[in-house]
Amino acid sequence: MNSYSIGIVDYGLGNHASVIHSLKDIGVKALSTDKISDLNAVDILMLPGVGAFPPAMNSLHNRGLVDYIREQANLKRPIIGICLGMQLLAESSFEHKHTTGLGLIPGSIQAFSNLGNHIGWNTLKFLNMESTYSNSKNNDEAFYFNHSFFYQGPSEYQVATTQHSIVFPSIIKNGNVVGLQFHPEKSQLAGKIFLKNLITDMMNA
Amino acid sequence: MLKKRIIGVVTVKAGWAVQSFGYYSYLPLGKPEILVENLDRWNADEILIQVIDRSENHLGPDFQLIERLGKLGLETPLIYSGGIRSEEDGVRLIQLGADRVVVDALLFDNINKVRDLSEHIGAQAVIASLPLSWKGDELKYLNYRSRESVSISDRVIELIKSRCISEVLISDWEHEGMPNGFEIKLIEKFPLKDTPLIAFGGISNPSQMRALLDLNDISAVAIGNFLNYHEHAIQKYKEALIDLPLRFTSYESIFN
Repeated sequence: MNSYSIGIVDYGLGNHASVIHSLKDIGVKALSTDKISDLNAVDILMLPGVGAFPPAMNSLHNRGLVDYIREQANLKRPIIGICLGMQLLAESSFEHKHTTGLGLIPGSIQAFSNLGNHIGWNTLKFLNMESTYSNSKNNDEAFYFNHSFFYQGPSEYQVATTQHSIVFPSIIKNGNVVGLQFHPEKSQLAGKIFLKNLITDMMNA
Repeated sequence: MLKKRIIGVVTVKAGWAVQSFGYYSYLPLGKPEILVENLDRWNADEILIQVIDRSENHLGPDFQLIERLGKLGLETPLIYSGGIRSEEDGVRLIQLGADRVVVDALLFDNINKVRDLSEHIGAQAVIASLPLSWKGDELKYLNYRSRESVSISDRVIELIKSRCISEVLISDWEHEGMPNGFEIKLIEKFPLKDTPLIAFGGISNPSQMRALLDLNDISAVAIGNFLNYHEHAIQKYKEALIDLPLRFTSYESIFN
């Protein structure tokens, strides 16, 4: 893992110390930056996320990162989105108002019915056990979720689902772009094991 | 299935972690960072850091503390409480390292600012703190700056109903720090059903936790003082509650 590097795309929302700490623990070099020259030098781009969809997209636009991320996806660079970062990968969101997303994974972001939230630790159900990060243990392990909106899109982009008031996609994937609705960096040992397997899988794809 | 949570609480006054008894008597415990790191290592489901002298003294949030905690790279979600005055305060706390924030005095001062905060950081990141007591067959809501106990206002009820906040932290301030002290009526008589509630104050033993966690609306119990007496206290509580829908962690390492 020591040879891999991740660039955490800094768009001004949230603190990246936990992500960096988790990545370093599993032997991955990590830096947080909004400089395209630095992001060009890493193996994987990571979009973290805390906050609401419209200000996050606004911030990405203001930093000139929307076109860059779309170009990198077209170039087949591995990209991981976490929580809000996963939602930004979709085509659009209805959080507060209709907002266009990065459009890297077909689908949209919708509110839970009755304006409910999904907060706390929950498990994943993998729909296809072929990927190396879907090891059997992940079906029992709980991961930390903290969101009010969820991804809705074609089943071909869904890797794992989670049961809440409804069953919703908790991992989505389109080629080299992967979105995680949960926070692996806040999921203690289970999260680090997951990240290690995911990064290995993406780098060997 | 979504698990119910045990939240570890660190109470801070004048910059020091303290053991609190009913919010009128305190024993110093040391640096908040040390207690937070312990809870992180002991696999708490979330960590709540509540700085109790910020709102009362109109000091605003303790940004320096949350910045120091943010730099620790915690593996456990962190909730900050104390002194939030505005949307800008909440956003800055998230930027510095909090995953969620608790609004308290702002519910009295300017409820519209709570809505603004929710719009910026998302409802999932906003918790409302209600220090309650049960007096004369009625729930009373403590304004801890004026020390008056009043009825829960319609505006606060409407805010909760509108789902601008994700959970309500119900503190039994009268029994806080008292073993087995939590008054379960504060939950049973809470006027809104189907609102996720976090119970805090005087929760000390597994049977009491079981009674609370069995209630449909309880999403978490928060424990402060009683985690300070034993190493890995959260895991010991969970072992005693193994039949409940909690998260049970393993300590196996794959990094050797």
